[in-house]
Amino acid sequence: MSRVVSSKHRSNLIIHLVLIAGAAVMVLPFLWMILTSLKTTTEATQIPITILPAEPSLRGYVDALRQSAFLHYYANTLMAAFMKTLFPVVFSAMAAFAFARIRFPGRGLCFFLIISVMMIPNPVFYTPQYLMMSKLGLVNTTTALWITSLVSPFATFLLRQFFLGISKELEEAAVLDGCNPFQIFRYIMLPLVKSALVAVVIIQLLWSWNELQWPLIINSSPEKLTLSAGLATLVSMFGTDYPVLMAGAFMAVIPMLILFFIFQRRFIEGVAFSASKG
Amino acid sequence: MHSKSRYIWAYMMIAPTLIGTLVFWSWPAVYSIYLSFLKSENFGLVNHWVGWANYERLFMDEEFWQNLRNTILYVVLFVPTTIILSTFFAVLLNAKIKGQAVYRVIYFLPQVTMAAAAAMVWVIIFAQDYGLLNSVLGTHIAWISDKRFAMYALVMVGVWGAIGFNMLLILAGLQGIPRTLYEAAEIDGAVGFRKFRSITLPLLTPTLFFTSIVLVIGATQIFDSIYLIIGKTNVALPAVRSLVYAYYQNSFIYYDQNYGAAIVNILLVINLVLTGIQFMLQKKWVIYD
Amino acid sequence: MNIRKKMAAGIASLLLVTLMAGCNSSNDGGGATDSGAQKSVTISYTIWDKNQQPAMEAIADAFTEQHPNIKVKVDAIPWGEYWTKMSAAAPAGMLPDVFWMHGGQFMKYAEGQFLEPITDKVQANEIDLNNYASNLVSIYTIDGQNYGIPKDFDTIGLAYNKELFDQANIPYPDDTWDYAKLAEVAKQLSQPDKGIYGFGAKLDTQAGYWNDMLANGGFILNDDMTKSGYDELASIEALKARYQMILDKASPTHQQMTDTDSVEMFKSGKLAMIFDGSWDNGNLASSEIIKGKYDWAPLPKGKVKRGNIINGIGNVMSTKGKHKDEAWQFLKFLGSKEAAEITAEMGAAIPAFNNTQDAWVKNNPDLNLQVFIDQAADATPYPSGSKSYPVWFSKEAEIMSQAWGGAISIEEGAKKVAEMMNQAIEDAK
Repeated sequence: MSRVVSSKHRSNLIIHLVLIAGAAVMVLPFLWMILTSLKTTTEATQIPITILPAEPSLRGYVDALRQSAFLHYYANTLMAAFMKTLFPVVFSAMAAFAFARIRFPGRGLCFFLIISVMMIPNPVFYTPQYLMMSKLGLVNTTTALWITSLVSPFATFLLRQFFLGISKELEEAAVLDGCNPFQIFRYIMLPLVKSALVAVVIIQLLWSWNELQWPLIINSSPEKLTLSAGLATLVSMFGTDYPVLMAGAFMAVIPMLILFFIFQRRFIEGVAFSASKG
Repeated sequence: MHSKSRYIWAYMMIAPTLIGTLVFWSWPAVYSIYLSFLKSENFGLVNHWVGWANYERLFMDEEFWQNLRNTILYVVLFVPTTIILSTFFAVLLNAKIKGQAVYRVIYFLPQVTMAAAAAMVWVIIFAQDYGLLNSVLGTHIAWISDKRFAMYALVMVGVWGAIGFNMLLILAGLQGIPRTLYEAAEIDGAVGFRKFRSITLPLLTPTLFFTSIVLVIGATQIFDSIYLIIGKTNVALPAVRSLVYAYYQNSFIYYDQNYGAAIVNILLVINLVLTGIQFMLQKKWVIYD
Repeated sequence: MNIRKKMAAGIASLLLVTLMAGCNSSNDGGGATDSGAQKSVTISYTIWDKNQQPAMEAIADAFTEQHPNIKVKVDAIPWGEYWTKMSAAAPAGMLPDVFWMHGGQFMKYAEGQFLEPITDKVQANEIDLNNYASNLVSIYTIDGQNYGIPKDFDTIGLAYNKELFDQANIPYPDDTWDYAKLAEVAKQLSQPDKGIYGFGAKLDTQAGYWNDMLANGGFILNDDMTKSGYDELASIEALKARYQMILDKASPTHQQMTDTDSVEMFKSGKLAMIFDGSWDNGNLASSEIIKGKYDWAPLPKGKVKRGNIINGIGNVMSTKGKHKDEAWQFLKFLGSKEAAEITAEMGAAIPAFNNTQDAWVKNNPDLNLQVFIDQAADATPYPSGSKSYPVWFSKEAEIMSQAWGGAISIEEGAKKVAEMMNQAIEDAK
């Protein structure tokens, strides 16, 4: 009896050790980011490298907040993230269901068109999209931050895979009852994928939060930038103030981390591809 | 219920995504394809048709072939390593241990770390004289400026950035496998790795399929780490330069959008082929419930 | 479930509020609003150096005092994204009203007719181009047409660590120094086992070996920008001399300088000497380690002369701006003595306007900043005046890095660069 117990303890211990080792590697750059945010400008780049700040100070955070547009960055980021999460999730879920469960003519072609977008690097789209924005009069606006991203090929693909894994019986019963596809989607399928939607929401939020190049290209005024883009403007050609940059980056990341911590269980549950719940 | 009316529903449900994609993403993609057959001036205001000239130049360009080799090497090294490690850590996390939530958040951190910050740290880790990696291994390798090693350094950075997210995907896949199957197998006398191979792995295949497609597409577009960590004046650049990096140089530095467009189109074709092959093979190894 | 619903409601209302805030803020700027008799206009001025933003905004404020109906919005876009953005904005007709131009990008924008020529205004004596050094004006002139007004200039100096010199009892660099002396002292000051080196012989053009090549009688591009000077014997000799310092362990290796930026090494007191540009003084001064312990000297003499590269940013205006008259007023003001003095006093850059540089020098009285001004007269203009510049400049770095990293010989590298440059010039015709 005791031998079985202690071997389970031992294997658990080993698992913990391995996970901790991996975690150490994962967390290293993030830790460095925080440590740098507490150092002086000189300490941040001097050689030999310093690990801990001699006298930790919050100057980096103060100066980052003093960036006149910091609140704007936050507001813009929130709004853009909201738009780039809500709409893509709704639109992708609908489309994913149709692609997975309805055999309509042109299904393959349309699906392929959508996911082929993922195969082209982002910068390819910048100049044509800039042109479109200028024709629509949307250059240097907050609208331009999100309007092109109301769709998400990635989310469509992910949700389609999920829908494919749901058993057909439920659906067949609903069809017999006379439901149209949208009703099936709305009342039967959607509830089954609540957690998957959480996963997609987190992914979309993350991407929207981190996006830095497009905002800088389409907008110029600081009040129209997002957090990542605004922080990027702190990188000067010469003598970047790293503590401020890192402090800003850390403050930008906190909401995402908190959100993820709250929802990470749902995130995992959500992305299960085989339906165990029948 | 009439098929036709089902079709109409289908079209309506894909409409927003399809229209949004066509308007904002497909059209620029087509434009980019078109660009590759032109010679542009004045940032694209003046264009001359040159047919296949850009592609001919591309195929005769030694640098292009090297970039292609580099990109493929990166995909081959990065994708399997990421999948294997992500699965490994997912299996560990799936065991009933305490503190799962904390581990998950920590493994997710690379996704939220600012790229420039991470790059700063990696350069320090890889430094020849005082770098962490050399201290741990007891070597004196110039990881990012030695042609023989730079690619491995980049793969390490790539795997680091990708494990968190993919591990969570696979963990989800693992948790979708009913316990009853394992219990039945245990009664039959199966243990450890055998359980993994005959139950876990097959039922994990839909997840692995998705992961592998997305990882391959992402890996072929490797750019950020080369730009941030390797840089233009690095001796090792030719040994790691990717197709997207070459595209960036040609389109945005040399202002040769047409040549850049040709490079991206080749990349697109490669991805189409690779993804197409994976989709066709899926019937052979992916098991949907 | 309930908690979740409440949280969702809370987040939704928060988002609604920010959406409102977002919508409101997108209705400002860029337009003309009626304010009584005179229309108030806002024009945009885009720059790439956030460090200079305070000075630029001070200039904008001074301008608005004199032209109360014209407001100027100063935006800083980081260098990395600046040209991507401009190259997208140009064909869309959306360039900023006034913005910074760099010599290397100038031709593309001028020839594409994205920049408003100011020649007629010059000839109408609205602005006197004699107020600036002629080699600066020429950077922004093509075929007799002026497009830009010089804003500032920069030259290269020799920064040295006084403490390291004192410890070794060696006199500081001065204007008697030549390259042989530089190499000699660099060797004396090197203590590789302590990680200290005498000189940072880095792979750099403007703040690096271009100066060496010029000093030795070589050149980068000939006068009419048709032929590369990299394969001249004098150029190759100069390159070899610099590389020799790495071989003699008077300088860190290229790999070491890839791992750690040599300017950071100097700022940490690990390098005794380094070439650096006037623009970087603020960066060096920000280091707590070498503050007060470093100074500037002129570059050493070469066999033929003292080499130096002079470059300058120019202010230009867009042809498609909506308020071109107002933009011209501001452009004119940017080129004025007043603007130059503000630039100098705030230490932003060395202004291009003649005889305004003193204030910049006096900004740091304990540093010998005068060397930058003194070397300007004999300096060679930055070789950016050809359409092929973006291509050859970028490729040059790649080829030379192979040489600097020891993969190919210096001579081979230089010859390859020359071949590449000549080809690029051909292709751009």
